[in-house]
Amino acid sequence: MIRRSIARALLVATLCIAGLTAVVSHATNYTLWINGRGGGGQVGNHADFTYWGPATTAAGINKKAVNWDGYNRIATTNGNIRDALDCYCTGTNWCYVAAHSAGNLQIGYALAMYGTSARYKKNATPNSAGQCGNTDGTTQTGWNIKWVDIAGGAGGGSELADSGDWLLTEPLVSDLKTSTARALYNHNSTTGKWFYMYAGAAGTLYSFVLPGQDDEAIAYHSSGGVSGSSGASFCNPSDWFCNDLKLGTAANEGGRAKWSYHSVAFRDDTEALNHYTKGNWGGIVSKVRADMATNAK
Amino acid sequence: MTAWRGPARRRPRPPSRGGARWATIGSLAVVALVAWWLRADPDDARGAATVTALPAALPSESTTLSAAPASSATGASTVPLRPLSPLGEAQRREQLALWQARLARARSALEAYQTAARYPHESRPIEEHPDQVHPFEPVAEDRPLRMPGGSVTQGVHLRTTQERLFASGAEASRITLTLHDDAGRPLPLRIVRAVMKEVTPPGRTATTAEYRMPVNDSGEQGDAVAGDGIFTAVMQPATQGFGAFAGTVRLEMHLDYAGQPGFIYFDLNYSPELAATWIPGIREALVNGSLELYAKAQVRMPGRYVVSGRVDDARGKPIALVQFNGEVGAGPVEFRLPVFGRLVHDARPAFPLTLRDVEAFLLKPDTFPDRVMLPRLAGAVHTTRSYALTAFSPAEWSSEERDRYLAELGKDVSEAEAQVTRLGP
Repeated sequence: MIRRSIARALLVATLCIAGLTAVVSHATNYTLWINGRGGGGQVGNHADFTYWGPATTAAGINKKAVNWDGYNRIATTNGNIRDALDCYCTGTNWCYVAAHSAGNLQIGYALAMYGTSARYKKNATPNSAGQCGNTDGTTQTGWNIKWVDIAGGAGGGSELADSGDWLLTEPLVSDLKTSTARALYNHNSTTGKWFYMYAGAAGTLYSFVLPGQDDEAIAYHSSGGVSGSSGASFCNPSDWFCNDLKLGTAANEGGRAKWSYHSVAFRDDTEALNHYTKGNWGGIVSKVRADMATNAK
Repeated sequence: MTAWRGPARRRPRPPSRGGARWATIGSLAVVALVAWWLRADPDDARGAATVTALPAALPSESTTLSAAPASSATGASTVPLRPLSPLGEAQRREQLALWQARLARARSALEAYQTAARYPHESRPIEEHPDQVHPFEPVAEDRPLRMPGGSVTQGVHLRTTQERLFASGAEASRITLTLHDDAGRPLPLRIVRAVMKEVTPPGRTATTAEYRMPVNDSGEQGDAVAGDGIFTAVMQPATQGFGAFAGTVRLEMHLDYAGQPGFIYFDLNYSPELAATWIPGIREALVNGSLELYAKAQVRMPGRYVVSGRVDDARGKPIALVQFNGEVGAGPVEFRLPVFGRLVHDARPAFPLTLRDVEAFLLKPDTFPDRVMLPRLAGAVHTTRSYALTAFSPAEWSSEERDRYLAELGKDVSEAEAQVTRLGP
């Protein structure tokens, strides 16, 4: 009788643990934030939101800061991004991704170059280097990503890198040269995920260098996901002397297409938002943060 | 044909009778634990609501708007939400708008993936890749004439072209530049200084000597036409002192127009390595209702190779971008470039097809330069046999990845639909 009671108690405990394990390992959604040039967060520490702003600010479900140094080449730092995607976006877990500035190149490069590769399913528990352990040793094709938001995206590069206004010895600046950024990978290859583009237009300081509308670092041709091997002028509809950057996926005025699976979700018609977070989720990032807080759930 | 059945038809199996009681106990414990955990997370759904400035005194959406017992995420409560106080009604409308937006987003994600997943990643309609149709055209750019940090010379434009941005071995990249006014008329340009040098990573010293680059408009050394105002330089690292260097080689030019100085630079990402050599000839085969084209190579450096080619129909209309992205070993290999059967059905090309403009590189992870280019296969590479449309399968792409995505994205749509139903109209 006692033995039977003990056995039953053990069974209950086992079931509770199994149930808990099932729930914990069951589909969990994460929101990954990939920083841009400059960095600031500790690489590998997914809780460090120094680049963005207060970590207490709502910015999507289970938010993680995918920190990379924001200084070196995309090719040499992209492993940080792939590690995080492996951690949180494999197995039963799914991700929303937000990126700022050169973070656009990071997620674009990861998807275009490695988005169809076999990935080990990971346990979403990173070590200090930002790498997670395997779950069952099996792999899957690509990552589980629902959609991507891009603030002030540098996927098309910046003329500030072209002109030598940014320090030319900085490795990342070489990748931000417009011709290089656009040739770095096939920007249309997002493996079917939407890139929602948020384009700021409060720039004035470098308007004579950045064509069309800009956020003081990135021109609309890049932040709006305009396809092609080089930049061009695109503006708000209020500017009669410059082709409009069209909202959504439509080709822009003048006929230039956007990269596939890229949609302009926000165009800064009131020229209110610049490129900079100011340590408080500011500038064009404020729009993406609000979208993530609302829709990344 | 693999038709998408929709995740809404997938219903969870009911638990077995014997385990139901214990599952309930376990579930309650888990629910309590998760509820406690969620309360501590600022980024859960209620966290999101806080930033949209919901009144702090209001209870969460679940307690305000639903009098029903906790239901599954996808199960819409049929318990009426009204009558509600004016405040409650306002909040209901707010939540409805929120879920309608989420529904639109979820449908958009699902539809995009459904569209994308008709064909496999390696065989795409060319319209999806508008800037990949002619990959070997020079990169043309229009820039102001200025010095870094300086002002722009008004009414003056510098037009440049660059043949390629990545090179290996003995490959060269032809650079042209010309100055013109707002009306497109050429302006006299003087090349004050042109130097090619390695871009040395911070903290290291250069391992190569600078190379003084000849730039001319004399119809020589790569320049097409003498005296046309278009200056030409040719970057060929292997013959200009960079044959053992791997990295970015930079051509810096100091310019002058009527006393106005300007600066411009061109980067060429270079690797001296030889990753693989092409083996002439393309093999073709009709496999499972798709036309597979095999580009052959002798691989010296094993690893991940990225190969892409364009497929035109007999009328010269581009129809597909075919790709290979995978790991191969050393030795003779075939890169499989499939023209997917369903894509042929949708595009209805005139046969025979032509494979052209094949580019390929070895992708090296976590290092720079990240690629070793294979020689470009420019122009027509292979013309296929003619096939009847019936030889191709009309089936959409089928894979675990596709099933996984359609199930998850479909679940999101179902959940949002349920919430909209619960909260509306």
